[in-house]
Amino acid sequence: MSKNLRIGFTAAAVALALTSSVRAADVVKIGVNVPQTGFAAADGKSALTGIQLAVEKANANNGINGKQIELIVYDDQASPKNSVPIATKLANKDKVAVAISGSYSSPTRAAAGVFQRSKVPYISAFAVHPDITRAGNYVFRTSFVAEVQGRAAAKLVGQDLGKKRVVITVLKNDYGKALAAGFNSVAAKYGIEVVNSYEYSIKDRQFGPIVSSIKNDNPDAIFDTGYWFVSAALVSQLRAGDVKAQIVGQEGYDGEKFIEIAKGAAEGVIITTSLDRDSADADVKAFMTAFKAKAGYAADMVGASGNTAARVAIAALRAAKSTDHEAVRNAIAAVKVDAVTGKISFNALGEVFKNVQVQIVKDGAWHRHSIIDDPELLAPPSK
Amino acid sequence: MEYEISLLTVMGINIVLALSLNIITGFCGQISLGHAAFYGTGAYCAALATTQWGMSFWSGGLLAMVVAAIFGFFVGFASLRVRDDFLAITTMGVGFLFLGVVRQQDALGGEMGIAGVPGSGLGEFGFMILVLATAVLVIAFSLYIKRSWLGFAFDAIAQDQDTSRTVGIDIARFKLAAFVLGTAIAGLAGSFYAHHVRFVGIDSFGFIESISILAMVVVGGIGSIWGVVVVAAVLSVLPLWLQFVADYQLLIYGALLFSVMQFNQGGLDGIVRQLVRKWRAND
Amino acid sequence: MVHFELLVQGLVQGTIYALVAVGLTLVYGLLRILHIAHAGLFSLGGYIALLLANQTGSFAFGLACSVLLVGLAGMAIYRLAYQPILDKPPYVALIVSIGLYIIMEEVFRLVFGPSTISFINPPLQGIVEFYGIRLREVEIATMAVAILFIGGVGILSTKTRIGVAWRATVDDPEMARSFGVRLYSVRYFNFFMASVMAATAGAMVAVSNNMVEPTMGGVPAYKALAIIVMGGLGDVRGTLFAALALGIIESFGTIYLGSILDRDAIAFAFLIIVLMFRPQGLLVRN
Repeated sequence: MSKNLRIGFTAAAVALALTSSVRAADVVKIGVNVPQTGFAAADGKSALTGIQLAVEKANANNGINGKQIELIVYDDQASPKNSVPIATKLANKDKVAVAISGSYSSPTRAAAGVFQRSKVPYISAFAVHPDITRAGNYVFRTSFVAEVQGRAAAKLVGQDLGKKRVVITVLKNDYGKALAAGFNSVAAKYGIEVVNSYEYSIKDRQFGPIVSSIKNDNPDAIFDTGYWFVSAALVSQLRAGDVKAQIVGQEGYDGEKFIEIAKGAAEGVIITTSLDRDSADADVKAFMTAFKAKAGYAADMVGASGNTAARVAIAALRAAKSTDHEAVRNAIAAVKVDAVTGKISFNALGEVFKNVQVQIVKDGAWHRHSIIDDPELLAPPSK
Repeated sequence: MEYEISLLTVMGINIVLALSLNIITGFCGQISLGHAAFYGTGAYCAALATTQWGMSFWSGGLLAMVVAAIFGFFVGFASLRVRDDFLAITTMGVGFLFLGVVRQQDALGGEMGIAGVPGSGLGEFGFMILVLATAVLVIAFSLYIKRSWLGFAFDAIAQDQDTSRTVGIDIARFKLAAFVLGTAIAGLAGSFYAHHVRFVGIDSFGFIESISILAMVVVGGIGSIWGVVVVAAVLSVLPLWLQFVADYQLLIYGALLFSVMQFNQGGLDGIVRQLVRKWRAND
Repeated sequence: MVHFELLVQGLVQGTIYALVAVGLTLVYGLLRILHIAHAGLFSLGGYIALLLANQTGSFAFGLACSVLLVGLAGMAIYRLAYQPILDKPPYVALIVSIGLYIIMEEVFRLVFGPSTISFINPPLQGIVEFYGIRLREVEIATMAVAILFIGGVGILSTKTRIGVAWRATVDDPEMARSFGVRLYSVRYFNFFMASVMAATAGAMVAVSNNMVEPTMGGVPAYKALAIIVMGGLGDVRGTLFAALALGIIESFGTIYLGSILDRDAIAFAFLIIVLMFRPQGLLVRN
């Protein structure tokens, strides 16, 4: 090889080495576990889109004190079997500064244990199970605990809507049952008589027997704790069965798909959630536009929650001015962030206090119905 | 290093689990589509034992094996009344029943599962050694079974139940033995799982899990020990090694099951044997 | 009154199960194969009917195409997946079928996306009322179709030459062949009929739920298996009876047993109980 060529190669090699190592040092890593395949893939896509939007915006604005953010994303298929090795990998191999869960309660709970043991800060975007933050002081949650949302729903149904005879239909998983428990815990306080309670599985799509029984119960309102892909059919069949009671759902319904499946039956359905589509807030509006452009469908609660969790992580990283895990954890604990789902700050347990947005389906789309902001009612657990 | 330790631990657990099914399906020809139920039984026992009943990691593990074996005994008993196709569906039913019962009982964790399962007390590295040592033991045990009179009987039953009966082999006893042994070992794998993941929930023990375990046995070569070990080790960590595979993981499992049964029922073991024969013939 | 409604609901659900299960038992009766991939054809039927209906605005067209295409697909599955392994032990076909079903489910997810797809204009949504019971048009249509098909299969097998050939092939293939029955034709016809029924069930369920999703075949798959075992493998009448019985038991079970047992588990609990006392199946006269 000629001398010039050798010099050229060496120079190129050195340059490459320098730039790649410089690039490596220039990056702050945020880990994400999210369901990209499996039954929860649709929600996973929303969550990830929300997170990506926050990261892209931050990177366009000087990143984390000059360093770009790198998202390391793994598919947990909404299963603890996968989320645990993923958490181990993110914490020990990829050495992320902070991790976000864009997944459901079960996998998040399992992963939380790993992150807590490895002392890596972990933020749960929308998983509701109470035990998640009880894993330890490195775990935070930017959405409602199930009980809080359940309680808010009880106030909504009993006091705000004035419905006293209520039937509860419960999705049989940790999410659905925790919500129902929250509702039941304060139902009496708002004058609600729970006439009957039914349970169904996440795989059920045919609710004939339940519809018939509810017709017989003749309640004023039905509180349902299912996800959109199960409950849309339930709501349809309830209306087809001539059940005229007010249907109250929760953030599991939040999204375009619910209306797409339930069609006319969705009209008038009210839910407790975290995203206000009719918000006048410029930030929220900008988010919704950006989300639709990126994902191809309208923003939903899951996407908004992902976005919020990412914003918290970014704000904390900026404030901490380092990627040392303890410093980041402390920064998260002290953070005050304005997000599309509300103003975020944490209590000692890592739980957040924010208002509950109540949305209603009107003319085939989600719109604002009201806001619940009772601080005592919405007080998150502190231990 | 922790990540690699975690990978090896997962591999070890899956090897133990796959070999346990190999005893039932591989050696004795009983197709079980509900093996995850025994895996789950062991996991739940270990979890409950160490979180609620104050037992130690070791006694919890023993309990896991015993309970899984008792459960396996009853299912084995049921298998006596039915043959082949019926058995496959019945074992599938057992799998669903197990889930159906556990998810309704809050005492067993219900929909929430059981969290906060403690570690083994041996540290991550120590636990990995224990799991791998167990895998080696199970391999040795499987070899022993295969080469002993027990294996001979299993083999005969797998080949032809009627003739075995005429020759005097007490089918019932051996089928039961296969079930009890296989399910006990699956229970042990379950207890390892519980202490590794530190969380047991019904999601991890469903029909898909049973099929995954079956896939390891089938693709490795039903009855083959080394084939099952290799395939179990590879399949269990493949999606973690290659994340892009994760999206296609199930598709790959399905394709493997389909292809192996279509083209070479001997699985990996069969393919290797064929290659070896060809190579020898060409010499 | 509620109880009568629950009964009717159970029958409605039972007819959907029957449409799927009868096809499955036809295949088993002929070839001793547990054709789990049948559930994949159920899903395919739903997808094709819905997507074509959305494209062309006509559900009738979507249904017709779906039935035809899935019928052909069923025959193709026989030829490509089962015929090569007919001489192997039964577990081979079982595992091939499971693998095939998983492949189909995953292909649906990769091609059509993981989320649900709904009708732009859901058909058969009207309500029909009689004796105080409200039924949706789709539910009545499903029952009508089920009676048509299953009744048709019954008449076909007893009153026509094809049917006789069919039954002969089931009882004794070699003897049938020696009498001039063309085995392959019978087998293709068998798979075609079974798949047509599965596709119809899938399309009806798609209308009833107003959605199709990649995993929609899962539940019918294993319930149909439980049903055909209870009905006595290969026995059409027994299968029909077991399907309706399961529908009714589930209907009452969801309400009264809901706290003890999961709905899916009910099917298998029922199965295991039946097998313990009548291992040969519910109606098989032995």
